[in-house]
Amino acid sequence: MKTLYMDGSGFLHRLSARAKLVLLAVASLALFLIQSPLVLGVGAVASGLLFASLRIGWRQTWLRLRVLFLTIAAVALFTLVFNSPVEAVSVFFRLSALALLASAVTATTTTGDFITEVTFAALPLEKLGLVKAADIGLSIGLVLRFIPEILLRHQAIRDAHIARGLRPRTLSIIVPLIILTLKNADEIASAIDARAIRAQK
Amino acid sequence: MPTRDLVLAALFAAIIIVLGLVPPVMLGFIPVPITAQSLGVMLAGVVLGAKRGTIAVLLVLVLAAIGLPVLSGGRGGLAVFMAPTTGYLIGWVFAAMVTGYLSQIMVGRDQAGLVQGVNFFIAALMGGVIVLYGIGITYLALITGMGFVKAFLGSLAFIPGDVLKAVIAALAGRAVMAGYPLLPQRA
Amino acid sequence: MDIHFDKAEARFDGRVTLHPLTVRLTERRIGVIGLNGSGKTTFARMINGLVSPASGNVVVNGFDTKADTDRARAQVGFIFQNPQNQIILPILKEDIALGLMSRKLSKGEIEARTTAILKRFGIGHLADRRSHELSGGELQLAAFASVLVTEPDILIMDEPTNQLDLKNRNLVARTISELPENVIVLTHDLDLIAGFERVLLFDNGRLAGDGNAAEIIARYRELAA
Repeated sequence: MKTLYMDGSGFLHRLSARAKLVLLAVASLALFLIQSPLVLGVGAVASGLLFASLRIGWRQTWLRLRVLFLTIAAVALFTLVFNSPVEAVSVFFRLSALALLASAVTATTTTGDFITEVTFAALPLEKLGLVKAADIGLSIGLVLRFIPEILLRHQAIRDAHIARGLRPRTLSIIVPLIILTLKNADEIASAIDARAIRAQK
Repeated sequence: MPTRDLVLAALFAAIIIVLGLVPPVMLGFIPVPITAQSLGVMLAGVVLGAKRGTIAVLLVLVLAAIGLPVLSGGRGGLAVFMAPTTGYLIGWVFAAMVTGYLSQIMVGRDQAGLVQGVNFFIAALMGGVIVLYGIGITYLALITGMGFVKAFLGSLAFIPGDVLKAVIAALAGRAVMAGYPLLPQRA
Repeated sequence: MDIHFDKAEARFDGRVTLHPLTVRLTERRIGVIGLNGSGKTTFARMINGLVSPASGNVVVNGFDTKADTDRARAQVGFIFQNPQNQIILPILKEDIALGLMSRKLSKGEIEARTTAILKRFGIGHLADRRSHELSGGELQLAAFASVLVTEPDILIMDEPTNQLDLKNRNLVARTISELPENVIVLTHDLDLIAGFERVLLFDNGRLAGDGNAAEIIARYRELAA
């Protein structure tokens, strides 16, 4: 599966994942505390410029953010109709700034770096005995490994429907999809245990 | 957590993601193609139960957060967690949890098919609609300042589709329990 | 190699899946045959501790599979029926390296061993390939690599050719013949084990035959007739 990371060498690319996440959190908090539409407007423009500096291109930007921007536009419109123009503008600027900043972080941080951060963030949970940090990386790997096969299986089930002259229906596709996929769980789990992958170090 | 449970959750997370990747199929008589991904969340609950179902959903969200386009429409990245509709993603976690929990306590392998179906439907409805929309609407109301009533009105149109998904989830839950039961959870 | 079953019994859901068995295994090539449900799969899984004896014990190269599971398991590499279910990470070399992660090795050392084992099975050029793009035969070889990278003394294969076409089946047969490790193969493919030193026959959870390949295979054919 292709990630949303885009290779590059700019300032944001060189900044550590942790720093970016912290800054994003701080910026989000600030954006929610600020009420002035003017300041929010400046924030939105600044976020826009930051995002633009990544040179992702119009097409990619549209592909990534179209649903989000449509949602933001809908909400702003709603606010315009039911509240006031000032509030609508504030909402629009705030949400847009957030979307752009978050997208900038996503585009400049690799999956590997993110996984390192998630694993690090899970360490306190590990102390509480809720989760093993190493299991997170393993689970992520497992999901990514089997998506293509499950996709193929879905296609095969659809094809089998068509071959029998049946219209593919959600229910008659998902039931075999689930059963055939989950049936592999025992062997996969045995293979993992046989290789002692989750053994304590 | 037993390895088998981890694998089941991971495989189901992959199923939820695939449901967001495949072209939407007509859902019953509704003429609009609706993505099956939120159906996947309810399915996680009825098939895997609360713990494994919730982990499956969490895995999907983590994958989205780390920059993979796993949400329907090729969406992903941190931006989806800073959107007005983020409440629905948070709601997914609790939807799977509630649907899973109710499935575990209400549905038994020895029940008649009809009873199983009704119980699964209640579980899917409570989790996948009531809890999900409760959280989604609340989040929308707070983040945008539009208030509960307007947030609710804005979300109303999507509810019938999700109620239909709850029916499908119930039927699927029953069929999977007949073919490859994973509930009650093996020790 | 020294595998010792001492009155080892296995149960599942209250049923006995393997009646108390006492047997010692030291040969380099051992075949295990029997109808489905005969107990051979349980027997195999008791050697690497995936199944624990309900009574009695199983000792592998001096390590008890119940009391010392980790070290007993480290002696054994286990290959299952479906190679797709054994390569579990999206990029091949990352999956192979996974077996080495729990050891305290440097990144360079892990990389070196991973590369070496992939080369050994002729798939070094696939190291950076996505796992789902590998062919059936490549996955089979990858499965070998994934379990042998930790250099276990014993390799157990549970019906390794069941899902394979003839070409890949022959590939597995060739690979087995070239392995320096001690190999135990469970199979329905009788030609695969025809040249083995010793063959065990299981039936209804008991050992029903134990001797040279020709004799035991003949007995199996009678049983299955």
